[in-house]
Amino acid sequence: MRIEKCWFCSSTIYPGHGIQFVRNDAKIFRFCRSKCHKNFKMKRNPRKVKWTKAYRRLHGKDMTQDSTFEFERKRNRPERYDRNLTENTLKAIKTIDKVRSKREAKHIETRKKGKKAQLMREAVKELEQSINLVKAPGAFKEDNSLTLPKIKVKVSQTQAENQPMEE
Amino acid sequence: MVQYNFKNITVVPNGKDFIDIILSRTQRQTPTVVHKGYAISRLRQFYMRKVKYTQTNYYDKLSTIIDEFPRLDDIHPFYGDLLHVLYNKDHYKLALGQINTARNLISKIAKDYVRLLKYGDSLYRCKCLKVAALGRMCTVIKRVAPSLAYLEQIRQHMARLPSIDPNTRTILICGYPNVGKSSFINKITRADVDVQPYAFTTKSLFVGHTDYKYLRYQVIDTPGILDRPFEDRNIIEMCSITALAHLRAAVLFFLDISGSCGYTIAQQAALFHSIKSLFMNKPLTIVCNKTDLQPLEGLSEEDMKLVMEMKAEAMKTVIGQGGEPTDDQGVLLTMSTLTEDGVIAVKNAACERLLDQRVEIKMKSKKINDCLNRFHVAIPKPRDQKERPPCIPQAVLEAKAKQAAEKEKRKTEKDLENENGGAGVYSASLKKNYILANDEWKEDVLPEILDGHNVYDFIDPDILQRLEELEQEEGLRQAEEVDDDFEMDGKELTPEEQQALAEIRKKKSLLIQQHRIKKSTAESRPIVPRKFDKDKQFTTRRMGRQLSALGLDPSKAIDRARSRSRGRKRERSPDNDGGDTMDMDVDTPNKRLRMRSRSRSRSVSRPPGEVVPGEGFKDSAQKVKAQKLAKKSSKKRNKDARRGEADRVIPTLKPKHLFSGKRSSGKTDRR
Repeated sequence: MRIEKCWFCSSTIYPGHGIQFVRNDAKIFRFCRSKCHKNFKMKRNPRKVKWTKAYRRLHGKDMTQDSTFEFERKRNRPERYDRNLTENTLKAIKTIDKVRSKREAKHIETRKKGKKAQLMREAVKELEQSINLVKAPGAFKEDNSLTLPKIKVKVSQTQAENQPMEE
Repeated sequence: MVQYNFKNITVVPNGKDFIDIILSRTQRQTPTVVHKGYAISRLRQFYMRKVKYTQTNYYDKLSTIIDEFPRLDDIHPFYGDLLHVLYNKDHYKLALGQINTARNLISKIAKDYVRLLKYGDSLYRCKCLKVAALGRMCTVIKRVAPSLAYLEQIRQHMARLPSIDPNTRTILICGYPNVGKSSFINKITRADVDVQPYAFTTKSLFVGHTDYKYLRYQVIDTPGILDRPFEDRNIIEMCSITALAHLRAAVLFFLDISGSCGYTIAQQAALFHSIKSLFMNKPLTIVCNKTDLQPLEGLSEEDMKLVMEMKAEAMKTVIGQGGEPTDDQGVLLTMSTLTEDGVIAVKNAACERLLDQRVEIKMKSKKINDCLNRFHVAIPKPRDQKERPPCIPQAVLEAKAKQAAEKEKRKTEKDLENENGGAGVYSASLKKNYILANDEWKEDVLPEILDGHNVYDFIDPDILQRLEELEQEEGLRQAEEVDDDFEMDGKELTPEEQQALAEIRKKKSLLIQQHRIKKSTAESRPIVPRKFDKDKQFTTRRMGRQLSALGLDPSKAIDRARSRSRGRKRERSPDNDGGDTMDMDVDTPNKRLRMRSRSRSRSVSRPPGEVVPGEGFKDSAQKVKAQKLAKKSSKKRNKDARRGEADRVIPTLKPKHLFSGKRSSGKTDRR
């Protein structure tokens, strides 16, 4: 009994589930459920279908390269049974799983956190470069910081004099 | 071969059927229509044909019968005798003879009547002749009908005779009734002969086939023979006698030493001696059957003597063949068909002796030379006198001996299976013979799937080491993470800076928007010179605002702008420039005031709507109206920045509601 991977969405197929399709060139396609099977029949490319693992890996949403992936490899030559080895393997599988899931979570976290530092740097740079759009170079003489100039409210004398005249 | 396959004889029809067949055939196969107006030769020919046709048919059919039935002299004497025994040679010959005569008679009849028909002069006469001819032929057959019936019966019986090949290797079983002959044949062949407690269960010969040394042997079971003078024997016994007489076979004389067949050993011995003449030149074996009831050793003195006598007789046959006189192994044998004890031994012995005899005879005959000429056994020429016997190393011999012993001692899987309940109950342990580092692990059950992974994919001899490496890596990584987190709290912008940044971005986006609008409407929008500034963008107030927003003092700029745009001498009323006004000249505020005060007292010019009498206006209202009209007519057309009258602006070239949307039903060919 083997657990296979769905060709379309890369989820695990337990024994007794799903459909296998064998093409004329003897390539076997395994599907975990009819959703994947039907998508395949519609000739959709899993790399373009958002919810598949292939898409997520391709677009960097999920971790692609890691040393934990190398532990699991399909071996074609059978090994002679060794109880100690098997015991160790079973325990190892659990730890490897834990490590891998932690790393994946970290990857996603870093992705979601955003580029705070980078944005900060960009903001600072923009501020320095384009401050002349909102502050004239003349205003720098009084106030040397990268902030908006204080708008002077000019009380014009002529108006004050005009008022009584035009009454 | 007619010789021993009587199954291919065609069916002999009975008299009536025979006549019907022939006559109907004549009716069908010859022309049926004739009129008396035909030419006489035609009529004659018509009827002659019918007569001849009937005759030929009879002739053919009777000939087939005569040919297909075997002639007793031409076939193997065994079959001849057998048929004689069964059907009586004389009767048989008579029947066939009658058929023959019938055939000849019919031919004669036909000949005569054809001759008469040649001279028939009318249709009626010819017809009568034909009728007579046919009638006589049929009568002949009617008279012969009993023979036909008899022949048919014989044919049926002959077809069911066992197909015994008189020339091949045969084993014959004979003896008193009920001694166990049929049981024996049932045991060694696939024949299924009736075995019953009463005598004469077997009433005719039965054939079975068995194999020995890759050769096929016929085994013939005969009906029991009683000890009677030859003339008194009935048909059934005669069958076996015939077989004994004519077939060159190995004979197994069965002896019932327990006497449960109803006859004593003495009687059986008597029978033996009376038919021993039939055993001439045949390898004879005495078989003592039913040893489960009475072992050979337990026989009484007289019986033992009788048996020994028989054995001595049998030995003679061995000697007669030139075999070793001391070889008495194959002469007297004991067995029990019930317990199957010794059955195979008997068969083998009989087959062996027969084979030897046949081979000997063949070697002596002339024909063998033809075969021998084709064989040549090549023997390497000895180069010296040294003896070179085959050399088998001692170890091999020992191993062979050990293997033989082991084979008997070893318990096979099949035995194990049978012990533990048979095929359906016990399933063999496949793990028994596993070769593992530690034998305790043989019965371990290895999980194949764990947590959604295949365990086999992970098994690796160095997995511990790699796991360690992984854990180290993980430790390092975690340390790094902690460092990273500290770094993240770096600088932040102050709120004023953030505000400035927001402003910058807003301004930038405004610029971009404007540029985009300009770009998109570039073709349909001519560049409006500043003179026709209808949006009133270019005012000093605005400039002043913008400059102060940037942080500069705009007063000087405004002054300069104003001093350029206005002529000094020109004075305008304060309300003339609509909207936002050009501010009063800062330099001469007093002058303005003075001017105003003076203007009221003296008019320098007429007010615009004042009517001058010579102009032809009724009153000032009319004049004002006329002035307005005049102005209107000479107004410059507001082109609104359009290229021409037809220059219409399409605000959205592709409005979504015209270019998209599904129909609830129907097609989207047109919109």
